[in-house]
Amino acid sequence: MRQVAGARRGLDMWLVQRASAVYMAVFLIVFLALALTAGPLDYAAWRGLFAPLAMKVAGLIFVAALLAHAWIGLREIFIDYVHFLVARLALYLAFAALYLGCLIWAVDILWSVQ
Amino acid sequence: MNRLANRRRPFFLDLRAIRLPIGGVVSIMHRASGAALSLAVPCLLYTLMLSLRSEEDFAGVVAYFSSGLGWFIGLGLMWALLHHLLAGLRHLGFDFGYGEEKGQARRSAWITLVLAGGLVALIALAGLLGGGA
Repeated sequence: MRQVAGARRGLDMWLVQRASAVYMAVFLIVFLALALTAGPLDYAAWRGLFAPLAMKVAGLIFVAALLAHAWIGLREIFIDYVHFLVARLALYLAFAALYLGCLIWAVDILWSVQ
Repeated sequence: MNRLANRRRPFFLDLRAIRLPIGGVVSIMHRASGAALSLAVPCLLYTLMLSLRSEEDFAGVVAYFSSGLGWFIGLGLMWALLHHLLAGLRHLGFDFGYGEEKGQARRSAWITLVLAGGLVALIALAGLLGGGA
């Protein structure tokens, strides 16, 4: 794979994996704290959580971190178990396309809350 | 690296004969939970979309995760998230040089396994007592 991906990419991904993990952990704790202190979590309160612009932006960064983290993790699994190079690259591309779609979808979902 | 030398590496994968150490068990579960969560991402986004779209859909999502198959799926996802999160924190510790000694690493592996399972059991219990399921 070194010829295809470049030797330094592994270190970059190692860093992205850890940075995204830390962001997600912090976001989840803050989000959980906000949700638990918002009173009874009915539909209005649930939507209210996503109303502030700060939550939309922080939430979108969370989704982006999640998708990057998931893609890099899946890449590790494919490297271990999918040895036919064309199949492995096809899986990389398929999940990259799927997750890119998810990111755009997340923008739509988050900004649908007024 | 020489490709031929690479191909001659010994290969042993008799799952009945392999006894994984506890760190290996936590590691393979870290991978399995990560894979499950990665595949669940589109479903989770769909759930988020429904929960925010309308009052009826929000009630539908709550009802789905409150009973039957949905209750187990919710707990399964919760376990996958907690195990993956705790195992990840353990690895971040290793990255900074904490707990790398064998005894400490075995202990943190057990803590990861038991804490993730225990927290999910508590959540399940709280749900049952709170009128869920």
